[in-house]
Amino acid sequence: MNRQRNLLGRLAILLAFIALANAADGSGDQTLTVGEIWDIEGLDPASGHSVTVNDKALIVETLIGVDESFNLKPLLATSWKSIDDKTWEVNIRDGVKFHDGSELTADDVKFSIERANELDLTVRSLLKLDSIEVLDPYTIRIRTTSPNSIMPAILHYASIAIISPKSIGDDGEFGKLIGTGPFKLESFDPQTHILTVTKNDNWWGGEVKLNRIILKPITDPNTRALALESGDVDFTVDVPYSEAERIDEIDGVNVEKYSTPRIYRIEINLKHAPLDDARVRQAISSAIDRDEIAEYVLFNVGSPATGPFMADMFWANENIKSYDYDIDLARELLDEAGWKDSDGDGIRDKDGKPLELSLLTYIERPGLQPMAEALAGQLEDVGIKIHAEAVENGVSSDRQKKGDWDLYLSATNTGMVPDPLYYLGLTYGTDGSSNKADYSNSRVDSIIRQAYETEDQEERIKMLDELEEIVQEDLPVIIMANYGVAIAKKDYVKGYVFDPTAHDYRLSPDMYIED
Amino acid sequence: MMGYLLKRLAFMGVTVLAVCALTFFLMNIIPGGTAELILKHTVLELEEIPTDEQIAEISSRYNLHDPLYIQFGNWLAGALQGDLGSSYIQKKPVSYLLLLRLPATIQLAFAAMSIAVLIGVPLGIFCAIRENKFTDYILRIVTLMGVSMPGFWLALILILFFSVNLKLFPVAGYGELRYLVLPAVALSAHSLALTLRMVRTGMLEVMSQPYIAFAISKGLSPRHVIARHALKNALLPAITVLALSLGHMLGGAVVIESIFAWPGVGSLLVDAISGRDIPLVQGCVLTIVGVFVTINLLVDLTYTYLDPRIRYG
Repeated sequence: MNRQRNLLGRLAILLAFIALANAADGSGDQTLTVGEIWDIEGLDPASGHSVTVNDKALIVETLIGVDESFNLKPLLATSWKSIDDKTWEVNIRDGVKFHDGSELTADDVKFSIERANELDLTVRSLLKLDSIEVLDPYTIRIRTTSPNSIMPAILHYASIAIISPKSIGDDGEFGKLIGTGPFKLESFDPQTHILTVTKNDNWWGGEVKLNRIILKPITDPNTRALALESGDVDFTVDVPYSEAERIDEIDGVNVEKYSTPRIYRIEINLKHAPLDDARVRQAISSAIDRDEIAEYVLFNVGSPATGPFMADMFWANENIKSYDYDIDLARELLDEAGWKDSDGDGIRDKDGKPLELSLLTYIERPGLQPMAEALAGQLEDVGIKIHAEAVENGVSSDRQKKGDWDLYLSATNTGMVPDPLYYLGLTYGTDGSSNKADYSNSRVDSIIRQAYETEDQEERIKMLDELEEIVQEDLPVIIMANYGVAIAKKDYVKGYVFDPTAHDYRLSPDMYIED
Repeated sequence: MMGYLLKRLAFMGVTVLAVCALTFFLMNIIPGGTAELILKHTVLELEEIPTDEQIAEISSRYNLHDPLYIQFGNWLAGALQGDLGSSYIQKKPVSYLLLLRLPATIQLAFAAMSIAVLIGVPLGIFCAIRENKFTDYILRIVTLMGVSMPGFWLALILILFFSVNLKLFPVAGYGELRYLVLPAVALSAHSLALTLRMVRTGMLEVMSQPYIAFAISKGLSPRHVIARHALKNALLPAITVLALSLGHMLGGAVVIESIFAWPGVGSLLVDAISGRDIPLVQGCVLTIVGVFVTINLLVDLTYTYLDPRIRYG
């Protein structure tokens, strides 16, 4: 008995000691600790880590940036123009220094673009690169194999961030990342994957307020919420949607919700009857109560939407058909298409076949599975039986490829490249790689072709406005909501401005810690 | 004994090989194209559709078009020479990635195991001695909760209480000792409860044996009887259970690792599976199975020490 009491006593002393040790550290002097949502597996922007080093760690920068309305703006490039339909000329900012003190020149830009083109297969298919010519230390010419009017928007793509050739070691392997951004690499722990960056005093963009940013990967959303609450991190995103309200109410912590350029959408398999009937598709869209979904499924992390582009995007056509929730219209359209509930079981039928559809989605994003269930409920109200199924993304995408699906719910990015043509072409073009609905409209195809060859921005947007109207009527894809992000931070974190163009989130050199 | 050991070692080799082969073929037949998922875990977003050229390039880069037996043969030939290949996704040698993760896994597993043994065994004995008394009931209810509680829930409750409210330990991460406490406690809960119950049952059974009554009537002190005569025999089933849970802790602590951002082998394996990073999956499985069969062998050898009547030959 004595020995046990002794043990308890020792344990108490140990705990007290740990508490003291804990209290001692943690006072950060303009240090921002971030609970990052993904594991950080590397820092090479051309090998899939561009968003981490570009948007979050702010080590590297792209040639071209975008403002909050998705207008392109100068970054490391000061201006750009097309010379002919296959050539773009880009002028590079004078006096920009890499973190090692050397000056940024056209050769570094050529090196970075060519390297991204070689390593990143997406960059390769976007750029259609033929060659890059260095005209003088501050000018390059990019030649493409076919007309590419969205070149400036592609140069915003994070994988084409500009790095110093010295980032590559003598052995040809990626070594220490050297960029031009407001923060420079201090350390990356290969074991814990914690990334620490420190202020770049010589940043061309002006003064940087934070001294240090520490990115800690915490992949579990509940843990991120608790880490913020306890003060282990100062800033994090995507706490569980259902927890956002509760966390916002905690003293010293606030949660802001924003929409991002990604949409919850249902692709429709046009080869499966009765989905080839536009009236059935329109009925489905009218039967969806988007407000209810945004409120009860997404907890308002995200917002209702009917078109692919959120209002922040200057090219969004806001006059497209809106498909307001109208259950009577939905019933009318289904009646018109010949689907009636003749046996009184609540499910419509035609020629003895019930109106049953499969709804496939994947589990990797938290909103999808509950949304599929909510949709099943809403569609059953108008007499459509939905078999909702959520599987691993590899499995769902496999089944989509094999044609084993009727409706496919996903959360798809629409602003990866800040140009409307990118998303619209991939989704609605007959040979668009994301066009799994097998949609084909010759007018749409000819608009896409023309738009790729038109450099005048206004003219292109006008063409694409027409395209948006056509597909909203044909409706091969039904859009439900904008994908949201919940930014959760301590009240003492100041100067953060949400960037709608970012992937996940973008930190800013204007952020600081208020004492 | 020597002959037995050699036979066991040979069987261990066969087991490891069979599991690796099975894993390899399973990885290739589960739905989801390998090349597509590699792309989605490197340059593409989850929702992006890879182009045919991208698929073709990845397939030829990693020889995914070769017949499976050739792919597996190549992997095996490398593995036998100590080369586990390179990760498709992290593009680093598999052995390097494993060596980064193993210390954290071993540390966590042994800490959890120590908690389970150091608390579970004495409390088990204590419960047996106080059979059907108040403290026994309380402890049995608590252990029932320990066995039934989902690990992730306990982990979150521990964080809420000890990190957020009391600020005693960090919420998540890996580093000094204070980072280890909560994940180890959360991971140990199940084994601790199981150990306690096994030891209690074992002790009660042994204590009713005639030789114990004889030892007591011989005038030996109760402490001596329990420690020298009863415990050794009561421990055998508990050791089997503990050894199995040690195996699980080394390879299957995925949930705990993810909640506490603990850089262990379990989460490495799960990430590798979802990205169809086959060399890395193989490396993880090889390691985990290797540890598993070794522990099994050690347990069987321990039996002979604890119960000399057991002879292998």
